[in-house]
Amino acid sequence: MGTNSGATAGINNKPVGGAGAGVLGGVGGANSSIGGVLSNSLGGGGGLSISGLNSGGQNANVGGLVTGMGSGNNMNDDGGNGMSGGPNNQQATTPQYTIPGILHFIQHEWSRFELERSQWDVDRAELQARIAMLLGERKCLESLKSDLTRRIKMLEYALRQERAKFYRLKYGTDPPQLNEFKPTNEDSGLTGDVATDSEVPYSSVSNTTWRQGRQMLRQYLAEIGYTDNIIDVRSNRVRSILGLNNNAEHDGSGGGLGTGGENISPNINGNESNKRASDTEGRHTPAKKQVQQASDGIIIDTEAAVMANFEFLGPTEMSDDDEISDDLEMVATDSDDTDVKLAKRAKSGKDMLTEDLEAEVGEQLLNDMNLINEEVDGSLGLGELAQLTVNNESDGAYDSNAKDGTGGSAGGAGYRKTWNAKYTLRSHFDGVRSLIFHPEEPVLITASEDHTLKLWNLQKTVQAKKSASLDVEPLYTFRAHTGPVLCLGMSTSGETCYSGGLDGNIECWQLPSPNIDPYDCYDPNVHSSTLEGHTDAVWGLTTMQNNIVSCSADGTVKLWSPYNKDPMLRTYTAAEAEGVPSSVDFVRNEVDHIVVAYNSAHCIIYDTETGKQVIKLEAAQEMSGNTGKFINKVVSHPTLPVTITAHEDRHIRFWDNTSGTLVHSMVAHLEPVTSLAVDAHGLYLLSGSHDCSIRLWNLDNKTCVQEITAHRKKFDESIFDVAFHATKPYIASAGADGLAKVFV
Amino acid sequence: MKMADGSTILRRNRPGTTSKDFCRWPDEPLEEMDSTLAVQQFIQQLIKRDPSNVELILTMPEAQDEGVWKYEHLRQFCMELNGLAVRLQKECSPSTCTQMTATDQWIFLCAAHKTPKECPAIDYTRHTLDGAACLLNSNKYFPSRVSIKESSVTKLGSVCRRVYRIFSHAFFHHRRIFDEFEAETYLCHRFTHFVTKYNLMSKENLIVPISDGENAAPGESEA
Repeated sequence: MGTNSGATAGINNKPVGGAGAGVLGGVGGANSSIGGVLSNSLGGGGGLSISGLNSGGQNANVGGLVTGMGSGNNMNDDGGNGMSGGPNNQQATTPQYTIPGILHFIQHEWSRFELERSQWDVDRAELQARIAMLLGERKCLESLKSDLTRRIKMLEYALRQERAKFYRLKYGTDPPQLNEFKPTNEDSGLTGDVATDSEVPYSSVSNTTWRQGRQMLRQYLAEIGYTDNIIDVRSNRVRSILGLNNNAEHDGSGGGLGTGGENISPNINGNESNKRASDTEGRHTPAKKQVQQASDGIIIDTEAAVMANFEFLGPTEMSDDDEISDDLEMVATDSDDTDVKLAKRAKSGKDMLTEDLEAEVGEQLLNDMNLINEEVDGSLGLGELAQLTVNNESDGAYDSNAKDGTGGSAGGAGYRKTWNAKYTLRSHFDGVRSLIFHPEEPVLITASEDHTLKLWNLQKTVQAKKSASLDVEPLYTFRAHTGPVLCLGMSTSGETCYSGGLDGNIECWQLPSPNIDPYDCYDPNVHSSTLEGHTDAVWGLTTMQNNIVSCSADGTVKLWSPYNKDPMLRTYTAAEAEGVPSSVDFVRNEVDHIVVAYNSAHCIIYDTETGKQVIKLEAAQEMSGNTGKFINKVVSHPTLPVTITAHEDRHIRFWDNTSGTLVHSMVAHLEPVTSLAVDAHGLYLLSGSHDCSIRLWNLDNKTCVQEITAHRKKFDESIFDVAFHATKPYIASAGADGLAKVFV
Repeated sequence: MKMADGSTILRRNRPGTTSKDFCRWPDEPLEEMDSTLAVQQFIQQLIKRDPSNVELILTMPEAQDEGVWKYEHLRQFCMELNGLAVRLQKECSPSTCTQMTATDQWIFLCAAHKTPKECPAIDYTRHTLDGAACLLNSNKYFPSRVSIKESSVTKLGSVCRRVYRIFSHAFFHHRRIFDEFEAETYLCHRFTHFVTKYNLMSKENLIVPISDGENAAPGESEA
């Protein structure tokens, strides 16, 4: 408040100050000295009170007030100049109403009123700014809406295309009414929509209007005394306007000091940016003098930035002088992105017409939808995703982080990034059941239902044609299983890897060098040993130091030490009612504890030494109806006593290991959640689901940060496994479609 | 969609499924498969039901693209041949089988290398399967699982020729393994039928004796 009153006091003193300055100039030095004496002697309380009122005001304004006061004293002086200083002093003591007293009172009152008036002016300006902002907000919501309808149209279009494609595939002919021309019609319909929505289609923004708009914008920027501070200010709401005042005011004072007598007009400028009055020279001179000189470069930069916003919002926006569209920025740029995507989509649509490479287009569509999904997810969280726990709060932060570029990194390890598919690992003939990264190298191993494991080095790639992603060729194929390979584990050193299969065996492998020739001679020593003991499919495998824990469809969980003479150390069997174990993990923050998920939808933590059950993770109120809550995967948080489970009923649940209670439960996917992975720092959770998508979650607030559609379905299965690289920025997903994908 | 309808069968192998129940679900007609992997699903379903019914497995459904049909079958063959390779790994070592031979007539050179090489039989087997896996999954030649370029279909023939040598080597040098494997999978039987039916290999190259009769495979294994 203090700053405001200061600023306005500055302005409002303008006329008076001007007059005062004139008088001062006329009367000369003698006057000023008398004024000084007077103000000291009779001012007393008055002077104090004024300074009190102004205490909040800043240097420049104090200066202004002092001149104002000086002028008052001058006038006062003029009136009583005939009398000497003596009578004045005497009168002050005897009756109540002396002329100087009255004058002083009037002066005091006047300045009070002035202050109040300026206060109201500020309020008015504030409210006006608010109105403008809300208007802007409305506009942006409108554009958002149109944008969303466009997206819906796009998706509808894609769906129609897909249907047509399926029809074609199934019956070998084109669908009856869906001829080849339909898509183009559809396309033009799309653009037509856009046109009506935003009044002027961007395509018609010709060069001249563009230039006009640019000029107008430059003017606009100059008017509001655009400084680099404003870039920060833009994202803030009401406060941003106050902040802007501040800036302008500081600027003004600086200018005032520099240029001498002209210290008033910058102040005008500062405030007029809100009031938007019509004094042209007032706002142009300072703008030229300071802003243009000092921050020409900045203006161009910011202009470009703002330009980008306006570009989407269309010329209507530009002509609207009252708009303060700071807040539009976020959404505007957002929409810009979509725009690009729209173009891309249109292109892919054309592709579809010209070349009939279904899958490629399908892939592209998939990717596009993916991007859109991401978009929707990250910034809007609508539709079905809104029902899930994707919340909208994060998007503001996310966007502003992205904008500022610095905000995100401020959180130390809590950086945010968007993951993009970079490598496609294709070489398996059937679904990839599991994958695991090497702890240090950019190397991973995949295990597939085609009975093999493959070793991949992400640094040995082949550029795939026509796509941004790289293809990787496998370096080595591990063959020993006589059935689908279901799970993988890797030693902490990254030298050994273990795989469990439907055949009930756990195979131990010495990893070949990541630079091996793929067509080298067969080295039987790569397969170091087989751990036999399970009598049915091994579904879960996890490692800790040199120990392995496995769980099997035979109902047992076994602890192994693969290099012992007798590798099987212990077997853990739960009560009959718990059923078969489905997944297992070491409790990471507690030595010698393992957590096992059972068919009964309960998890049990065992002490590996004693073999005793430590605690059972179950939710009291959820005891009824555990059907469908089948746990597909259990993982332990790397640092906290928290267990995370992925359920068939689309939920991810969080459990407290010490109390055994349910901490948090959320619907995470549209279909069963099949896989989970926590990054090494324990900040992010990755989940995969049969809905073909993987999602990245912020473990702090349990919100979805990103969703990526990654794989296709085979029967009713899609994604089998997800993984984080422990030390490098890689994540990966493995799918029933026989592919593994790595994201960076 | 599926979740809403309680009666629909979810064809999933959940963790904890026993090997007996793995993929044990009611057959789904090809027309109802709406996945891009429908052909693979369909073929695997047929094999699962009765691996010995070679004729049925190889009968192409109507309105099926023949290129895709051949391609998916070949993928399945290469995948199942892993089983034979695993068995051969135990017995066929570079010291016993220094060259890839079937009969004494030919020494097969391994095409996986820049210049074809005289690899030991086990290396030939592994390299050929790895090479086939790379080729059949190549984004360049087989970018799609639902439509295949004519130029890529011609590649299938050479893959067939190469992988067939694994059968012939096993048959002539590791007969026990071959017979055991064949009794379980009828793979060589099916493969011979496949390449004959779709004309992917010439008759004189099919040196493993498989009679055309229905019960060929059991008959062979007794021989």
